[in-house]
Amino acid sequence: MKDLSTANFDTMTTDEFQEYLPELFAEGGGNVSKDPRFAKFLENNPVCAELVHDLETIAETAKSLFEPTHEPSDDLWNKIAGKLHEPEEEN
Amino acid sequence: MQTKAAPGFFKRNPPIEGEAEAIERAKNGDAEAFSFLYGLHKRRVYTLTLRMLGNVSEAEDMTQEAFLHLFRKIGSFRGESAFSTWLHRLTVNLVLMHLRKKGLQLVSLEETINPSEDDAPKRDFGARDPSLAGSVDRVTLERAVASLPPGYRMVFLLHDVEGFEHNEIATMLECSTGNSKSQLHKARLKLRELLRQPENLVALEAMKEAKR
Repeated sequence: MKDLSTANFDTMTTDEFQEYLPELFAEGGGNVSKDPRFAKFLENNPVCAELVHDLETIAETAKSLFEPTHEPSDDLWNKIAGKLHEPEEEN
Repeated sequence: MQTKAAPGFFKRNPPIEGEAEAIERAKNGDAEAFSFLYGLHKRRVYTLTLRMLGNVSEAEDMTQEAFLHLFRKIGSFRGESAFSTWLHRLTVNLVLMHLRKKGLQLVSLEETINPSEDDAPKRDFGARDPSLAGSVDRVTLERAVASLPPGYRMVFLLHDVEGFEHNEIATMLECSTGNSKSQLHKARLKLRELLRQPENLVALEAMKEAKR
């Protein structure tokens, strides 16, 4: 992981930017495109701007997956209920 | 008596009507209250285990394990986080324990989490590839996530879908926080590749199906 404290966002290359990205996303809560520190760099590097936009879109859409989409079989509760008072199995 | 939760805990897990009362009754061994809690949370727990394991039969087994474990441990729930967050953490830990028993028990996930070179995302920014065109549909993303190598999939699900912090994921996966951040980034890059070139996603799905 690259150390952000030594980064110069005005002079860095696109490769360097990509090396900083995991930390930038973690540090900024996923809002790299709105961070004024990178505005100039992203304006001058549209490929990086597109990458950031795509990764932000993926992270944002992922939140919608929190809502469940699958259902267990109808008899699962009966299996669980039948075992509720059994002693815990040894691991 | 429940401890007051910190602000923000219920952002993605708003309180559900009747849940708090059912929790208190279930703590006293009320099976009907426990059945109510199962009804409220079965879909989320099952969806989580299915996404982590990618196998319907194993997912049902782990859902059963999670609720049996919940029944035994519900007395230790103090309300310091939303109940669903607590239940999901319990479920994730059971699934990870299950995976370790299946073959990862001797090596930390940090070492086994890294997929092969073929599975890793390309370093190239891919300017010539089509862009995501502004949005990603939920169904296609779900398919792409299912096609990720297990290590990437796990970190992506825990962070971007379930909302766990990197330090929590590092504890669960027995890896460093930096590793969690790095794996998440690689997972998103890999998803980007798959979403920009859907033919690769179809090919991966066909390969996965052929292995079954």
